[in-house]
Amino acid sequence: MKPVECEFEAEVLGTVLQSRWPDRVDAQLRAHVASCPICSEVASVAGAFDGSLEALRASAQVPDASRVWWQAQLRARREAVAAAGRPITAVQLVAFACAVGLLGACFGATSTWFQAALKRFALNAASFDVAAFLTAVSTLFVEHGALALGLVAVVFLVPTAVYVALVRD
Amino acid sequence: MFRDTTFNDLGRTDALAGVSAEFVMDEESFRGFYERNARGLWAYLARVTGDREQADDLLQETFYRFLRAASTYESESHRRNSLYRIATNLAHDARRQSLVRAPVISAGDDIENVSTGDQAGATERSADVTRALSSLKPRERAMLWLAYAEGASHDEIAGALGIRVTSLKPMLFRARRKLAALLGRKPEGGKS
Repeated sequence: MKPVECEFEAEVLGTVLQSRWPDRVDAQLRAHVASCPICSEVASVAGAFDGSLEALRASAQVPDASRVWWQAQLRARREAVAAAGRPITAVQLVAFACAVGLLGACFGATSTWFQAALKRFALNAASFDVAAFLTAVSTLFVEHGALALGLVAVVFLVPTAVYVALVRD
Repeated sequence: MFRDTTFNDLGRTDALAGVSAEFVMDEESFRGFYERNARGLWAYLARVTGDREQADDLLQETFYRFLRAASTYESESHRRNSLYRIATNLAHDARRQSLVRAPVISAGDDIENVSTGDQAGATERSADVTRALSSLKPRERAMLWLAYAEGASHDEIAGALGIRVTSLKPMLFRARRKLAALLGRKPEGGKS
């Protein structure tokens, strides 16, 4: 198995990182690097990176520390406020859903016409007839138009309102 | 990611003033830490991503996540490792999100395009490195840069990349061999 490390590797790397390679190192180390494939690669790669690092550092336009700190503070606070508001929003949504459910249950339990319509619908569903269904729907709208429209509006408006609220959050 | 501050943000600052933001260090310590590490970290991110703008974004995001991390650091070295670990993960995530924009680094990319005059030689060498690195995998680029530009130890590199030290050595060996071959194996490199 070929060796993957050389005992002089760290020393060679050190000379490159300290910008001493190749002129300001002793001849013995230079001779070793010339004969050692591992150290030769280390010198090659580290030497190339050394020049590249200088060029990159020189061209880096990093923002001021104060600006980064201030923006981090602002963002952290914004996130803290959002995090604090999130459980309230969730609780509000659950409460709203419970209220709607309760209202629907009360309505269903007390409304005779609704129960009759449900029964009619159940009977029609057993042998589903499109014409009969449309008749039942049209009867519902004719007899209790305003209420039916209100229910339809709630069915469409509530999910839309919840969606808009969540997107805004 | 950070975005430019707007007047609305300034207006909101007062509203948010009462909300505390827990950071791992105070402003004074952060300034020193940032001054010591920002440029090196930017260079690392620019090398790993091959994109100056992405490096700008990731730099700020890295420092933000570092500040928000619920960690205690035993030493400057520990802090620095953590910083590079965050940066590496962010670069990895960014790469996954933009895989459609492959290759991440192309030979024509100009992450060192702003230097002129006396820096022309260094810029040319840097462009050679960019071309050679473009043939390597992102993880190989990261480990090579940490090892041979930053002078990080094997433990530090393994920590930053989330791999075992025992796995790192052969990986580093192979990546170094590959890059040296691409660079034409010129051991006389460096700032001679």
